[in-house]
Amino acid sequence: MDARSDLDRQLAALKGAVVDALPPPATDQAVATAIARAQRQSARRSAASRSGGRWLGWPLALAASIAVLSLVVRSLPPEAVMAEPAAPFARTKGDEFMALVPLGDLESAGDAMVVSARLPRMTLAQLGLPVNPARAADAIDTELLVRRDGSVLAVRFVY
Amino acid sequence: MPTELSDRLQASDAALAARVACGDAVALTPLYQRHRGPIYRFALLWSGSAAVAADVTQDVFVHLLTKAADYDPARGSLQPWLLGVTRNFVHRRTGADARYVANDDDAEPPAPALDAPTPESALATQRDIARVRAAIAALPPHYRDVLVLVELAERSYAEAAAICGCELNTVRSRLSRARALLARWLDATPQRANTAKG
Repeated sequence: MDARSDLDRQLAALKGAVVDALPPPATDQAVATAIARAQRQSARRSAASRSGGRWLGWPLALAASIAVLSLVVRSLPPEAVMAEPAAPFARTKGDEFMALVPLGDLESAGDAMVVSARLPRMTLAQLGLPVNPARAADAIDTELLVRRDGSVLAVRFVY
Repeated sequence: MPTELSDRLQASDAALAARVACGDAVALTPLYQRHRGPIYRFALLWSGSAAVAADVTQDVFVHLLTKAADYDPARGSLQPWLLGVTRNFVHRRTGADARYVANDDDAEPPAPALDAPTPESALATQRDIARVRAAIAALPPHYRDVLVLVELAERSYAEAAAICGCELNTVRSRLSRARALLARWLDATPQRANTAKG
Protein backbone atom coordinates (compact mmCIF):
# COMPACT_ATOMS: atom_id res chain seq x y z
CA MET A 1 0.00 0.00 0.00
CA ASP A 2 1.56 3.35 -1.01
CA ALA A 3 1.97 6.25 1.37
CA ARG A 4 -0.85 8.28 -0.18
CA SER A 5 -3.52 5.60 0.13
CA ASP A 6 -2.27 4.73 3.61
CA LEU A 7 -2.67 8.33 4.68
CA ASP A 8 -6.14 8.47 3.13
CA ARG A 9 -7.07 5.31 5.00
CA GLN A 10 -5.92 6.73 8.31
CA LEU A 11 -7.67 10.03 7.72
CA ALA A 12 -10.86 8.15 6.84
CA ALA A 13 -10.55 6.14 10.05
CA LEU A 14 -10.18 9.33 12.08
CA LYS A 15 -13.14 10.92 10.29
CA GLY A 16 -15.24 7.83 10.98
CA ALA A 17 -14.26 7.87 14.64
CA VAL A 18 -15.71 11.34 15.18
CA VAL A 19 -18.52 11.34 12.63
CA ASP A 20 -21.19 11.23 15.33
CA ALA A 21 -19.35 13.28 17.92
CA LEU A 22 -21.44 15.97 19.56
CA PRO A 23 -20.69 18.50 22.27
CA PRO A 24 -21.26 17.23 25.80
CA PRO A 25 -24.57 17.96 27.60
CA ALA A 26 -22.77 20.60 29.67
CA THR A 27 -22.16 22.63 26.51
CA ASP A 28 -25.80 22.22 25.43
CA GLN A 29 -26.83 23.48 28.85
CA ALA A 30 -24.41 26.41 28.76
CA VAL A 31 -25.68 27.54 25.36
CA ALA A 32 -29.31 27.14 26.48
CA THR A 33 -28.55 29.26 29.53
CA ALA A 34 -26.94 31.94 27.36
CA ILE A 35 -30.00 31.93 25.10
CA ALA A 36 -32.37 32.28 28.05
CA ARG A 37 -30.28 35.11 29.52
CA ALA A 38 -30.21 36.95 26.18
CA GLN A 39 -33.95 36.48 25.80
CA ARG A 40 -34.57 37.97 29.24
CA GLN A 41 -32.33 40.94 28.44
CA SER A 42 -34.12 41.44 25.15
CA ALA A 43 -37.50 41.35 26.92
CA ARG A 44 -36.30 43.91 29.47
CA ARG A 45 -35.07 46.20 26.66
CA SER A 46 -38.42 45.87 24.90
CA ALA A 47 -40.27 46.72 28.12
CA ALA A 48 -38.04 49.75 28.66
CA SER A 49 -38.63 50.81 25.07
CA ARG A 50 -42.39 50.49 25.51
CA SER A 51 -42.17 52.49 28.72
CA GLY A 52 -40.27 55.20 26.87
CA GLY A 53 -42.97 55.10 24.23
CA ARG A 54 -45.56 55.87 26.87
CA TRP A 55 -43.83 59.16 27.69
CA LEU A 56 -44.17 60.09 24.05
CA GLY A 57 -47.64 58.62 23.88
CA TRP A 58 -49.28 61.11 26.23
CA PRO A 59 -48.39 64.23 24.20
CA LEU A 60 -49.36 62.39 21.03
CA ALA A 61 -52.70 61.39 22.54
CA LEU A 62 -53.28 64.98 23.65
CA ALA A 63 -52.43 66.29 20.18
CA ALA A 64 -54.77 63.74 18.64
CA SER A 65 -57.53 64.76 21.03
CA ILE A 66 -57.07 68.40 20.10
CA ALA A 67 -57.20 67.52 16.41
CA VAL A 68 -60.39 65.54 16.92
CA LEU A 69 -61.83 68.39 18.97
CA SER A 70 -61.02 70.82 16.21
CA LEU A 71 -62.75 68.62 13.65
CA VAL A 72 -65.81 68.32 15.87
CA VAL A 73 -65.97 72.08 16.35
CA ARG A 74 -65.50 72.78 12.67
CA SER A 75 -68.26 70.40 11.75
CA LEU A 76 -70.80 72.27 13.87
CA PRO A 77 -73.40 74.22 11.84
CA PRO A 78 -73.26 78.03 12.37
CA GLU A 79 -76.85 78.03 13.61
CA ALA A 80 -75.96 75.74 16.45
CA VAL A 81 -73.14 77.97 17.58
CA MET A 82 -75.35 80.87 18.41
CA ALA A 83 -78.52 78.91 18.99
CA GLU A 84 -79.05 79.43 22.71
CA PRO A 85 -77.38 81.46 25.43
CA ALA A 86 -75.70 79.38 28.12
CA ALA A 87 -77.68 80.96 30.89
CA PRO A 88 -76.91 78.37 33.58
CA PHE A 89 -73.16 78.97 33.13
CA ALA A 90 -73.25 82.77 32.95
CA ARG A 91 -70.52 84.41 35.03
CA THR A 92 -69.71 87.95 35.90
CA LYS A 93 -66.15 87.42 34.71
CA GLY A 94 -66.11 88.81 31.17
CA ASP A 95 -68.85 87.82 28.79
CA GLU A 96 -71.33 85.06 29.33
CA PHE A 97 -70.66 81.59 27.94
CA MET A 98 -71.77 81.18 24.36
CA ALA A 99 -73.12 77.73 23.68
CA LEU A 100 -71.59 75.82 20.82
CA VAL A 101 -74.02 72.90 21.11
CA PRO A 102 -77.77 72.62 21.49
CA LEU A 103 -79.10 73.62 24.89
CA GLY A 104 -80.19 70.07 25.69
CA ASP A 105 -76.59 68.92 25.50
CA LEU A 106 -75.50 71.69 27.83
CA GLU A 107 -78.04 70.73 30.45
CA SER A 108 -76.99 67.12 30.40
CA ALA A 109 -73.29 67.97 30.68
CA GLY A 110 -73.04 67.72 34.43
CA ASP A 111 -69.41 66.65 34.39
CA ALA A 112 -68.14 69.47 32.19
CA MET A 113 -64.95 71.34 33.10
CA VAL A 114 -63.91 74.94 32.55
CA VAL A 115 -60.57 75.18 30.81
CA SER A 116 -58.70 78.47 30.42
CA ALA A 117 -57.04 78.93 27.05
CA ARG A 118 -55.42 81.77 25.12
CA LEU A 119 -56.55 81.31 21.55
CA PRO A 120 -55.89 83.13 18.29
CA ARG A 121 -58.96 85.02 17.13
CA MET A 122 -58.80 82.98 13.94
CA THR A 123 -59.60 79.91 16.04
CA LEU A 124 -62.69 81.66 17.32
CA ALA A 125 -63.68 82.30 13.73
CA GLN A 126 -63.41 78.59 13.17
CA LEU A 127 -65.81 78.14 16.08
CA GLY A 128 -68.27 80.28 14.17
CA LEU A 129 -67.75 83.49 16.17
CA PRO A 130 -67.46 86.89 14.45
CA VAL A 131 -63.85 88.11 14.19
CA ASN A 132 -62.40 91.32 12.86
CA PRO A 133 -60.08 90.25 10.02
CA ALA A 134 -57.64 93.06 10.87
CA ARG A 135 -57.08 91.47 14.32
CA ALA A 136 -57.28 87.83 13.25
CA ALA A 137 -53.67 87.17 14.29
CA ASP A 138 -54.16 88.49 17.83
CA ALA A 139 -54.75 86.12 20.72
CA ILE A 140 -57.52 86.41 23.24
CA ASP A 141 -58.05 84.87 26.68
CA THR A 142 -61.00 82.51 26.81
CA GLU A 143 -62.57 79.90 29.00
CA LEU A 144 -63.88 76.77 27.35
CA LEU A 145 -66.59 74.57 28.77
CA VAL A 146 -65.38 71.09 27.87
CA ARG A 147 -67.06 67.77 28.45
CA ARG A 148 -64.93 64.87 29.67
CA ASP A 149 -65.11 63.26 26.26
CA GLY A 150 -63.26 66.31 24.90
CA SER A 151 -66.09 68.04 23.10
CA VAL A 152 -66.34 71.81 23.56
CA LEU A 153 -69.78 72.88 24.77
CA ALA A 154 -69.37 76.61 25.16
CA VAL A 155 -66.86 79.46 25.15
CA ARG A 156 -66.58 82.84 26.78
CA PHE A 157 -64.10 85.66 26.62
CA VAL A 158 -62.11 86.73 29.65
CA TYR A 159 -61.12 90.38 29.94
CA MET B 1 -46.26 25.92 20.45
CA PRO B 2 -45.63 22.88 18.22
CA THR B 3 -46.40 24.99 15.15
CA GLU B 4 -44.00 27.69 16.27
CA LEU B 5 -41.29 25.13 16.95
CA SER B 6 -41.90 23.53 13.57
CA ASP B 7 -41.60 26.93 11.88
CA ARG B 8 -38.32 27.57 13.64
CA LEU B 9 -36.92 24.20 12.64
CA GLN B 10 -37.87 24.67 9.02
CA ALA B 11 -36.77 28.28 8.76
CA SER B 12 -33.61 28.90 6.79
CA ASP B 13 -30.33 29.58 8.53
CA ALA B 14 -30.36 33.11 7.16
CA ALA B 15 -33.86 33.79 8.48
CA LEU B 16 -32.98 32.41 11.89
CA ALA B 17 -29.75 34.40 12.03
CA ALA B 18 -31.72 37.52 11.12
CA ARG B 19 -34.13 36.82 13.98
CA VAL B 20 -31.22 36.41 16.38
CA ALA B 21 -29.76 39.69 15.13
CA CYS B 22 -33.10 41.36 15.87
CA GLY B 23 -33.07 40.13 19.47
CA ASP B 24 -35.00 36.87 19.12
CA ALA B 25 -32.45 34.81 21.04
CA VAL B 26 -34.67 31.73 21.00
CA ALA B 27 -34.09 31.47 17.23
CA LEU B 28 -30.55 30.39 18.10
CA THR B 29 -31.83 27.06 19.44
CA PRO B 30 -32.52 25.45 16.03
CA LEU B 31 -29.27 26.93 14.68
CA TYR B 32 -27.39 25.30 17.55
CA GLN B 33 -29.12 21.98 16.94
CA ARG B 34 -28.26 22.09 13.23
CA HIS B 35 -24.65 23.17 13.43
CA ARG B 36 -23.30 22.10 16.80
CA GLY B 37 -22.04 18.77 15.40
CA PRO B 38 -19.88 20.12 12.55
CA ILE B 39 -18.60 22.97 14.72
CA TYR B 40 -17.69 20.67 17.60
CA ARG B 41 -16.07 18.10 15.30
CA PHE B 42 -14.00 20.74 13.53
CA ALA B 43 -12.75 22.06 16.86
CA LEU B 44 -12.14 18.52 18.11
CA LEU B 45 -10.17 17.47 15.05
CA TRP B 46 -8.25 20.73 15.01
CA SER B 47 -7.33 20.82 18.69
CA GLY B 48 -7.27 17.12 19.51
CA SER B 49 -9.00 17.95 22.78
CA ALA B 50 -12.64 17.31 23.64
CA ALA B 51 -12.47 19.92 26.40
CA VAL B 52 -11.17 22.62 24.05
CA ALA B 53 -13.75 21.61 21.42
CA ALA B 54 -16.58 21.93 23.95
CA ASP B 55 -15.39 25.35 25.09
CA VAL B 56 -14.94 26.57 21.51
CA THR B 57 -18.41 25.32 20.53
CA GLN B 58 -19.90 27.32 23.38
CA ASP B 59 -17.83 30.37 22.41
CA VAL B 60 -19.00 30.17 18.80
CA PHE B 61 -22.72 30.09 19.58
CA VAL B 62 -22.52 32.75 22.27
CA HIS B 63 -20.65 34.84 19.69
CA LEU B 64 -23.47 34.20 17.21
CA LEU B 65 -25.94 35.33 19.84
CA THR B 66 -24.39 38.78 19.98
CA LYS B 67 -22.83 39.10 16.51
CA ALA B 68 -25.43 37.52 14.23
CA ALA B 69 -25.70 40.82 12.39
CA ASP B 70 -22.13 40.30 11.16
CA TYR B 71 -23.27 37.34 9.08
CA ASP B 72 -24.13 38.36 5.52
CA PRO B 73 -26.20 35.69 3.70
CA ALA B 74 -25.26 37.25 0.38
CA ARG B 75 -21.67 36.11 0.93
CA GLY B 76 -22.45 32.45 1.54
CA SER B 77 -24.21 29.99 3.78
CA LEU B 78 -24.02 30.11 7.55
CA GLN B 79 -21.95 27.02 8.29
CA PRO B 80 -18.74 28.17 6.55
CA TRP B 81 -19.10 31.48 8.36
CA LEU B 82 -19.47 29.62 11.65
CA LEU B 83 -16.45 27.48 10.81
CA GLY B 84 -14.46 30.67 10.24
CA VAL B 85 -15.52 31.89 13.67
CA THR B 86 -14.64 28.47 15.10
CA ARG B 87 -11.22 28.62 13.53
CA ASN B 88 -10.56 31.99 15.16
CA PHE B 89 -11.70 30.77 18.57
CA VAL B 90 -9.77 27.51 18.41
CA HIS B 91 -6.64 29.40 17.38
CA ARG B 92 -7.14 31.74 20.32
CA ARG B 93 -7.83 28.93 22.79
CA THR B 94 -4.77 26.98 21.77
CA GLY B 95 -2.48 29.95 21.26
CA ALA B 96 -2.04 28.90 17.66
CA ASP B 97 -1.66 32.45 16.40
CA ALA B 98 1.40 32.95 18.58
CA ARG B 99 2.94 29.71 17.33
CA TYR B 100 2.49 30.58 13.64
CA VAL B 101 5.65 30.05 11.61
CA ALA B 102 5.91 30.77 7.93
CA ASN B 103 8.29 28.07 6.76
CA ASP B 104 8.04 24.92 8.82
CA ASP B 105 8.07 22.06 6.35
CA ASP B 106 10.97 20.52 8.23
CA ALA B 107 9.32 20.85 11.62
CA GLU B 108 9.30 17.78 13.81
CA PRO B 109 6.04 16.84 15.49
CA PRO B 110 6.10 18.03 19.11
CA ALA B 111 4.49 16.06 21.89
CA PRO B 112 0.79 16.14 21.05
CA ALA B 113 -1.65 17.64 23.54
CA LEU B 114 -4.27 14.94 23.45
CA ASP B 115 -6.88 13.89 25.93
CA ALA B 116 -5.98 11.12 28.32
CA PRO B 117 -5.97 7.78 26.46
CA THR B 118 -8.90 5.47 27.03
CA PRO B 119 -8.57 1.74 27.64
CA GLU B 120 -9.83 1.15 24.09
CA SER B 121 -6.82 3.01 22.69
CA ALA B 122 -4.84 -0.18 23.21
CA LEU B 123 -6.63 -1.59 20.20
CA ALA B 124 -4.84 -1.25 16.92
CA THR B 125 -7.48 0.90 15.26
CA GLN B 126 -7.68 3.19 18.21
CA ARG B 127 -3.91 3.44 18.24
CA ASP B 128 -3.86 4.39 14.58
CA ILE B 129 -6.49 7.03 15.16
CA ALA B 130 -4.59 8.39 18.13
CA ARG B 131 -1.44 8.59 16.01
CA VAL B 132 -3.21 10.50 13.27
CA ARG B 133 -4.79 12.87 15.78
CA ALA B 134 -1.42 13.46 17.36
CA ALA B 135 0.17 14.14 14.03
CA ILE B 136 -2.60 16.54 13.00
CA ALA B 137 -2.35 18.32 16.34
CA ALA B 138 1.35 18.82 15.65
CA LEU B 139 0.84 20.41 12.23
CA PRO B 140 1.43 24.15 11.93
CA PRO B 141 -1.91 25.96 12.34
CA HIS B 142 -2.20 27.16 8.74
CA TYR B 143 -1.63 23.62 7.44
CA ARG B 144 -3.97 22.13 10.02
CA ASP B 145 -6.72 24.57 8.98
CA VAL B 146 -6.87 23.34 5.40
CA LEU B 147 -6.29 19.69 6.22
CA VAL B 148 -9.11 19.53 8.75
CA LEU B 149 -11.46 21.58 6.59
CA VAL B 150 -10.88 19.77 3.30
CA GLU B 151 -9.95 16.24 4.28
CA LEU B 152 -12.01 15.78 7.45
CA ALA B 153 -14.81 18.36 7.42
CA GLU B 154 -15.33 17.82 3.68
CA ARG B 155 -15.44 21.50 2.77
CA SER B 156 -14.59 22.51 -0.77
CA TYR B 157 -11.33 24.26 -1.60
CA ALA B 158 -13.27 27.46 -2.22
CA GLU B 159 -14.98 27.26 1.17
CA ALA B 160 -11.68 26.53 2.88
CA ALA B 161 -10.16 29.54 1.15
CA ALA B 162 -13.02 31.75 2.34
CA ILE B 163 -12.85 30.40 5.89
CA CYS B 164 -9.09 30.82 6.11
CA GLY B 165 -9.07 34.13 4.27
CA CYS B 166 -6.57 33.05 1.67
CA GLU B 167 -6.35 32.29 -2.05
CA LEU B 168 -7.51 29.03 -3.60
CA ASN B 169 -3.98 28.16 -4.72
CA THR B 170 -2.73 28.77 -1.20
CA VAL B 171 -5.23 26.21 0.05
CA ARG B 172 -3.99 23.70 -2.50
CA SER B 173 -0.34 24.21 -1.66
CA ARG B 174 -0.94 24.14 2.10
CA LEU B 175 -2.98 20.99 1.80
CA SER B 176 -0.29 19.34 -0.26
CA ARG B 177 2.39 20.23 2.28
CA ALA B 178 0.17 19.19 5.20
CA ARG B 179 -0.40 15.80 3.65
CA ALA B 180 3.29 15.39 2.93
CA LEU B 181 4.19 16.22 6.53
CA LEU B 182 1.55 13.86 7.89
CA ALA B 183 2.64 11.04 5.63
CA ARG B 184 6.26 11.50 6.68
CA TRP B 185 5.46 11.63 10.39
CA LEU B 186 3.02 8.73 10.35
CA ASP B 187 5.51 6.66 8.41
CA ALA B 188 8.31 7.56 10.83
CA THR B 189 6.40 7.10 14.08
CA PRO B 190 6.24 3.25 14.09
CA GLN B 191 9.92 3.08 13.22
CA ARG B 192 10.77 5.36 16.15
CA ALA B 193 8.53 3.26 18.39
CA ASN B 194 10.18 0.06 17.22
CA THR B 195 13.60 1.58 17.75
CA ALA B 196 12.66 2.58 21.26
CA LYS B 197 11.37 -0.89 21.96
CA GLY B 198 14.50 -2.47 20.54
